[in-house]
Amino acid sequence: MRVIIVGGGKLGEGLARLLMSEGHPITVIESRSDHAAVLRHDLPAAVVVMGNGTDPDVLEAAGIRRTDLVAAVTGADETNLVVTSLARQEFNVHRVIARVNNPKNAWLFTPEMGCDVAVNQAEVMAKLIIEGM
Amino acid sequence: MRLIIVGCGRMGGGLARRLVETGHEVTVVDKDPDAFSRLGSAFKGRTVVGIGFDGEALEAAGVRRADGLAAVTASDDVNVVTARVARQIFHVPRVVARVYDPHKADIYRRLGLPTVSTTVWGIQRMAELLCFSHLDAVASLGSGEVDLVETETPPTLVGRTVADLTLPGEVHVVAITRRGHTFLPSLGAVFEADDLIHLAVTNTASNRLVKLLG
Repeated sequence: MRVIIVGGGKLGEGLARLLMSEGHPITVIESRSDHAAVLRHDLPAAVVVMGNGTDPDVLEAAGIRRTDLVAAVTGADETNLVVTSLARQEFNVHRVIARVNNPKNAWLFTPEMGCDVAVNQAEVMAKLIIEGM
Repeated sequence: MRLIIVGCGRMGGGLARRLVETGHEVTVVDKDPDAFSRLGSAFKGRTVVGIGFDGEALEAAGVRRADGLAAVTASDDVNVVTARVARQIFHVPRVVARVYDPHKADIYRRLGLPTVSTTVWGIQRMAELLCFSHLDAVASLGSGEVDLVETETPPTLVGRTVADLTLPGEVHVVAITRRGHTFLPSLGAVFEADDLIHLAVTNTASNRLVKLLG
């Protein structure tokens, strides 16, 4: 399964690592040039594209027309929502998953915004913590 | 109309003041309360502190009763998300987003979201001014038989009338932009220096128009 991960922070990097260990080809889009260099070093098997994931040219360069899945996991909800919209409506990506940073914004991550699955990190963490109690 | 402006920068602030002046009921939303100082103390509209695509902020701004919303923050992404939320979730009848990136602006326009790319306008206008020619074609009508062109008033025309620049059936002055306002002139209207003249000209008469412009 070809996967594009938008946002190479701790979550994006960890996700890339996990998927690569299962043998999936991964492309990571990262907007900070210094951090993109770090990712290239730390994830030698991944393709790292430096650029803004909301830029259609960057998405094309990352191979969005051939990808099976896009995961928008940056730390900015508006960025993730623009990525999901473009992935679905402009590039017809089959499956689109996004990270919800601020729980107040969870209601926006809908199929109309191009988002098949929204992962609300605060909610997930809270549930896990409660399970551990 | 009841209008919401999201983003109180130079554009949002200016737009809000302009809309209030023309009699509209305006609410401005910005995440930074200091930004509202741009509106001036005499501003008659309302202000709401919040992020544009936040449901609570939009509700506080009266999005459910709004006739229109303009998203003009400094972030293309915030503008696009705000405009889509306003339209798709709150069904605001008229929505427009300012998008700096021309490529993105095109995509969203194609997806049915009206966008204004100040960058594209700026590039066009700068290129026109740098590569000055008397006739800047603004639009081509029909199959190109008639062009809409604009020109700065050449010194030879200052003090002359619209009738002097009219060739019936071939060259007509459509409008004049003077000190930021555009109006439809009568045949007797007198050109002033710095007027921007908008003309309709048949393609067979463009050479004659150039001569008239000296």
